[in-house]
Amino acid sequence: MIEISLQLLAFIAAAALVIIGLAGLLLMDNLIKKIIAFTLLSDGVNLLLVAVGYVQGGVAAILEPGDSVTEFVNNAVLVFPVGIVLTNIVIGVSTTAILVALVIMLYRRHGTLKASKVLKEEKR
Amino acid sequence: MSETVTNLWSIALLVIIPLLTAILVNFLFNKKRLIRCVSVASAVALLAITLISTYGYYWFTGVPAVDTSTFTFTFGAGTSAWRLALEYYFGPLQQILIAVLALVLVLVVLVASPNLTKNQGAYMAMIFLTFMSAAIIIMVNDFYHLWIGVELGSLVVAGIVVASGDGVSHRAALKYTFFSALSGAGLAVSLALILGLTGFSNISDSITFLHSHDLGGMATVLYVAFGFFALSWIYAGGLVPVHPLKSDVYGASFPHGTVMLQAQSKLSLVAMGIVMLRLFGTLPFTREVMIAVSVLTMMFGVVMALLQTDFRWILAYLIVSHSGLVTIGISLGTTEGLTGGLFQAVNDIIYMSVLLIAVEAVIYFGRGTSTKTAIGIAKKAPWLTAAVVLGAMAASGIPLFNGFQSEIILIRAALLVNLPEIAAVILLVSVTTFIAIFRGIYTLFFKPADPIVSEEGSAAVPKESPIPRWIYVALGILIAIALVIGVYPNIVLQFVTPIAELVSIPWYL
Repeated sequence: MIEISLQLLAFIAAAALVIIGLAGLLLMDNLIKKIIAFTLLSDGVNLLLVAVGYVQGGVAAILEPGDSVTEFVNNAVLVFPVGIVLTNIVIGVSTTAILVALVIMLYRRHGTLKASKVLKEEKR
Repeated sequence: MSETVTNLWSIALLVIIPLLTAILVNFLFNKKRLIRCVSVASAVALLAITLISTYGYYWFTGVPAVDTSTFTFTFGAGTSAWRLALEYYFGPLQQILIAVLALVLVLVVLVASPNLTKNQGAYMAMIFLTFMSAAIIIMVNDFYHLWIGVELGSLVVAGIVVASGDGVSHRAALKYTFFSALSGAGLAVSLALILGLTGFSNISDSITFLHSHDLGGMATVLYVAFGFFALSWIYAGGLVPVHPLKSDVYGASFPHGTVMLQAQSKLSLVAMGIVMLRLFGTLPFTREVMIAVSVLTMMFGVVMALLQTDFRWILAYLIVSHSGLVTIGISLGTTEGLTGGLFQAVNDIIYMSVLLIAVEAVIYFGRGTSTKTAIGIAKKAPWLTAAVVLGAMAASGIPLFNGFQSEIILIRAALLVNLPEIAAVILLVSVTTFIAIFRGIYTLFFKPADPIVSEEGSAAVPKESPIPRWIYVALGILIAIALVIGVYPNIVLQFVTPIAELVSIPWYL
């Protein structure tokens, strides 16, 4: 019986989300569907980061005065993934907002959400 | 200037001031006079801080490094130190690049017409956030801030393009933002993989770890990390194969906005290129991949520039092409190559700013920037014509100008590592740049103006506006700098050579 760890499951799920997101972003013609694919991709990356930073039985990475530095170095969870995931969520929301706003503007101008039509009508 | 190990608050100000200014001008909304005053004061303050600041570190939370052999706090930056805090480093390279960026910011704020956008506050906020993201990327020494800087930079680029107006701008911004999602995710994955390999979020610590440990079977992960990192580097600088995206962004923005965008792009290329060289430089094929991308970018850029029929788009593609000049030096990785690449970044920002601000002035003649329409500007504005010709000479690498000095170092660097093909490509870029720019200048400035015919077929008068005097001031300052650097290159070289010597890797072919 193969023992599947929580971390491995998270890696598999993250890879699946990234692949689905990437495929949607590249293959879907509808701009709204592209945006949804982008959010899936972003979630996949977040999950990967969470999985990388997971330490079984770890302590929060906050070093208080008087704490043992040795114990801290040995047991502290990685702060980087936590920080980057929180920030990535905020940046993801901002990016989605910009994308939706742009799609609305382009829809008003062209009357369609098809990327193949909207993005190719460039004349200069 | 001496380096200090205390926590330098002046370094943090280079990020905090533009952020606070962006918030403030955004609240001021459309009080154009007040926005201009605040923006100019803030930009001048940033330039002054950059010029007078001491070299050293800034640790967020004020926590210094932990010595891994004794497990005690240390202010040293030795190889055995584990830096817990997020940190910025401000050295000679950071000083010269941020100083140039701050100077460009001052000029952009002065040149930007308050009547261009509906919401002047938000637009100016984007300009300051562009500065902030570039300052973060060039000073940062941890992966977290590097990633934030790159992501933030992508968002503000989209914002500046959107604020520039029409359908072309919206489409360019949409495409750019979609790809920024891919590139940002790729960078995050790359950094996560490096973190998984090394356990360090600090860039210096990770590099020390990678150079002192045998990764064994995990070395493949490092290759994957390199792939994702390279993708993000290519995207941030608009290198091949995503060069159409970046050139669309440059061409679709207001010319003064493009001044900031191209400066931010060059700083990102330099900062990320150096990190990439330090992290992955010893891997087989790393430098070959970087060199191939750089050469293709130079060639595609100039060829596309020759095909354009609008002066703005000619410059847009030339900016992309000259990004390849910056990256080729970094990609060679030798002291000479890095010196040339970093020097080229400084020079490129300066002479491209001259040309872009000159294009901004052309718009005031009310007949667009298409090279199909002769405007005859030389007779109406001889000083502007002189400025654009001098800027074009600097961009083409003609002696006595700054572009010549950096390009000659790059050519020498290529010949020193027995790659005359690269030297030939650099020369080709110079010659083609000359042809592409002067073709546009001849039609717009020197050819007798074409008559304007209205829709009814009768002669019409173009809606000309007077060129603001600040445009002439900006052009004068930038051209003077280009000439001074061209005659005394050591003014810049003294800042870039130390970092080139520090991070260079011997050529192995």
